[in-house]
Amino acid sequence: MKPPRRLHIVRLRLRTLARRQRVEADLERELRFHLERQVEENEALGLSPAEARRAALRKLGGLTQIHEECRDMRRINYIENFWRDLRYAFRMLGANPAFTAVIVLTLALSIGANSAIFSVIDGVLLRPLPYPDAGRIVRVFFHSANFAKFPLNPFDFRDFREHTRSFESLAGFTRADLQLSGAGRPERFTGFAVTAGFFKTLGLRPARGHEFDRNAEIPGNEQQVILSDRLWRNRFAADPNILGRKITLDSRPFTVVAVMPPGTEHPGNAYNGVAHGETVDLWWPFAFRGDPNQRGSHYLEVIGRVKPGVAPTAAQAEMNALIAQASREHPDALEGWTALVVPLYREIVGPSRRLLLVLLGAVGLVLLIACANAANLLLSRATVRRREIAVRAALGAGRWRLIRQLLAESLLIAMLGAALGLVIAVAGVRALVALLPAGFPRADTIHVNAAVFAFTMLIALATGLLFGLAPALQAVRTDLHDSLRDGGRGATTGSRPLRLRSALLVGEVSLACLLLIGAGLMLRSFVNLLRADPGFRPEHLLTARVSLPDAAYKSLETIRFWDRLSDRLNSVAGIRAAGVGTDLPWTGYDDNVGGFTIEGKKPPANQFFHARYHVASPDYFRAMGIPLVRGRFFTAADNMKGTPAMIVNQSMARRYWPNEDAVGKRVTFEDHPKEQDWMTIVGIVGDVKDKPESPSAEMALWWPIAQTPVSVNSMAVAVRGSSDPALLANDLRQAVRQLDPTLATSDIRAMGDIADANISTPRFALFLVALFAALALTLAAIGIYGVISYSVSQRTHEFGLRMALGAQPADVLRLVLRQGVRLALLGVVLGLAGALLLGRVLRGLLFEVSASDPITLASVSLVAVAIAALACYLPARRATAVDPAHALRTE
Amino acid sequence: MSKPSDLIQGTLDLLILRTIALEPVHGWAIAKRIEQVSEDVLQVTQGALYPALHRLEQQGWIQASWRKTETGREAKFYDLTPAGRVQLEKELAQWQRLSNAVGLVIRMAEE
Repeated sequence: MKPPRRLHIVRLRLRTLARRQRVEADLERELRFHLERQVEENEALGLSPAEARRAALRKLGGLTQIHEECRDMRRINYIENFWRDLRYAFRMLGANPAFTAVIVLTLALSIGANSAIFSVIDGVLLRPLPYPDAGRIVRVFFHSANFAKFPLNPFDFRDFREHTRSFESLAGFTRADLQLSGAGRPERFTGFAVTAGFFKTLGLRPARGHEFDRNAEIPGNEQQVILSDRLWRNRFAADPNILGRKITLDSRPFTVVAVMPPGTEHPGNAYNGVAHGETVDLWWPFAFRGDPNQRGSHYLEVIGRVKPGVAPTAAQAEMNALIAQASREHPDALEGWTALVVPLYREIVGPSRRLLLVLLGAVGLVLLIACANAANLLLSRATVRRREIAVRAALGAGRWRLIRQLLAESLLIAMLGAALGLVIAVAGVRALVALLPAGFPRADTIHVNAAVFAFTMLIALATGLLFGLAPALQAVRTDLHDSLRDGGRGATTGSRPLRLRSALLVGEVSLACLLLIGAGLMLRSFVNLLRADPGFRPEHLLTARVSLPDAAYKSLETIRFWDRLSDRLNSVAGIRAAGVGTDLPWTGYDDNVGGFTIEGKKPPANQFFHARYHVASPDYFRAMGIPLVRGRFFTAADNMKGTPAMIVNQSMARRYWPNEDAVGKRVTFEDHPKEQDWMTIVGIVGDVKDKPESPSAEMALWWPIAQTPVSVNSMAVAVRGSSDPALLANDLRQAVRQLDPTLATSDIRAMGDIADANISTPRFALFLVALFAALALTLAAIGIYGVISYSVSQRTHEFGLRMALGAQPADVLRLVLRQGVRLALLGVVLGLAGALLLGRVLRGLLFEVSASDPITLASVSLVAVAIAALACYLPARRATAVDPAHALRTE
Repeated sequence: MSKPSDLIQGTLDLLILRTIALEPVHGWAIAKRIEQVSEDVLQVTQGALYPALHRLEQQGWIQASWRKTETGREAKFYDLTPAGRVQLEKELAQWQRLSNAVGLVIRMAEE
């Protein structure tokens, strides 16, 4: 098509649109001219004027239809008809407010739910990470038979960084909070020790200053710091001359070298994890201390930016080659390790992905059910409107034209539903974000935005077509003649509408069952989680963290401080037990110690003895409520002068001393132990799992504070009272302040809240899926009610006849109930089959319940059938109330 | 709702274009002229004529204007556009090819 012609066409179309009346009038004139000429011709042939006119009209064909066809030819008809259809649809819907309200509300609820879940998916899964060219950022882990994802040894990291060719830059980071003192009360800030190029790897630049170079990694140079925008504003009044200023962190002077801009998001980390987002306030240099040949300890988390065009798998292959190369120099340290390179995006959102997709699937099902429901309601109305449609068809409306008009109605309904749904979505998203499990990645990026709006419109359009098409096709298929003759008085013609409606109903019930089963399984799983013994007593327990600055506290002072803090707390009235320990249960702990020696035992080939390691004060276990299984807890006698003591958990005792008593057995961490290097197991305590949903507890051991190989400067404090733990917070703060007024007591939390946060994901999933299932069940019940009501009204005559012939109301009741329940049963069977097929989807989200759990399947079937029977009961009652004489007369 | 035309689909377009190629003509005259020229063999269903005219106009092959007829009445006259002239050449050539081919087949069958 040449441009001028195209222009011409556009002009024509515009003319037709803009000067509609003129164009119509032209057409009218044109046809009249034609008709008059034909009449003249006919008269010339000798016909009477009336005959001539009739013949001319016959020859020309239906004037209205020619008009219509010409308009079609001008294309513009589509738009115009659309407006007309829409206006008509508005009138039709307005004439039936109850019907409209039911259908729009159910759609709005399901569309709103879909949009809300989509907002979450858009924010969490679809939006790119807040780093330039984020697709090239990866996380690098070590991997072995025992540990899926393990941090790196700093010196291994340094070698790899030196030799890699796949990475544009590679950086390490590890959690290292710092306490800021000086202005105001002392406060601990979330900090990370990072190697040179950490921000470059993320693609970020400081707003002022420069990030650390390799010089900063040299021990002794690490007293420099980069501040977050938030910290700079809140604690330093956005001082423009901050660069070069000295600030006191952990009692040491640090020079501020840079300030990061707002929006500097932490990429997340596993070890002492800090959530992804603007969660970090301080960065300081990671210094490579110690002997480069000692490579047993792994604590450096690694992030990298691969060069353009390098796939993560290729980078992983290169890392493996580097490990192989390094293991020639350090065979012991690198034995059994391989590299694992994971795209950062997957690392951040991976764990939430399945949950979100399951939720999207669940709301999608709700929408399908709502569609089936809407289709059912429209079908029942199409029956009522048969006469209207027949009249329109008789007056010359084409089939396609009628379908378009009916579709306009369903689209209008869908759009109204979408508009209301968006309102629901906005409120829903707010509620969803508030409900999101603790530490959910990227929660701050969840908003109702243009993408969500577009998605809503799209699903509204799709649902409108989906639920409108079947009724529309059904409506225009009706036999004109019959419809006009019996005047739409509810004749019994055609079982087809009922068959289609029954099919829709069965579909609805089966989908609702699918959702109910999902909700049932999650409920069972959640109850299992609640019922499972956590291994400690979270109630009446307050926890906090206290950290001692290295500069002021050497190993002896540290030991003395923890002792005195425990003593002081235990003497406070209202505190039943108080202890300090390195770790709290369920707080993302994953430190391991490996390669120790157990007296008289050899590890299996290619393996070594390993366990989680902790440090605890004598009353730690009592305060936590962790039970003693055998032996004793630590005592004050387990000090530097006492025999080295150790406590292990049941898992470790069972694993390394099966069929033996572990108490009294000895363990050492030295390769060539002297007598005093052997630690004796004095007690066995109950297991605590890493997370409530972990399949089993990891093996774990505890050192007494005074006998720890390295002094521990940061400890969790656990204080058990006898009522609301929040009341103990002041006592705790005061005790710390009395010992050292410069110390901050951070992370004060009730253990109950920590425990609660740990089951927030399954609770969130359960809540939503149960909500969707309830919605689905309600929709299905409405559907059943609608279909059975319709069927009862169609069979009034039959019921009247039956009763006239002696049938009792109970017989009729049974007849109707049987019809509904039979459909529901079919739906339930299909739903069960679907659930068994789809059970795989839920795996990983369920705790100690199988996806084909018979109790759930059975109770869901019962509930579904019971609801179906209930929904049938009302119409069935109506059927029994039929007056035989009346019913027979109406026919 | 389009009715099956008595003419092969597309042929009507060709006939219309050919008819108005000589001079601007109105709808009634187009119908008459097609009937006369084809010696009443081709009966144009009048109902099909106007939608076709409007389609051709929308496609930019023809243009319309109101003029006086010889009897002094206002009628809508149709006229070829330059693009329509090109289109007519194309369709004529195509028709020629088609009818030659059909003729060939028929002659072959007669021999």
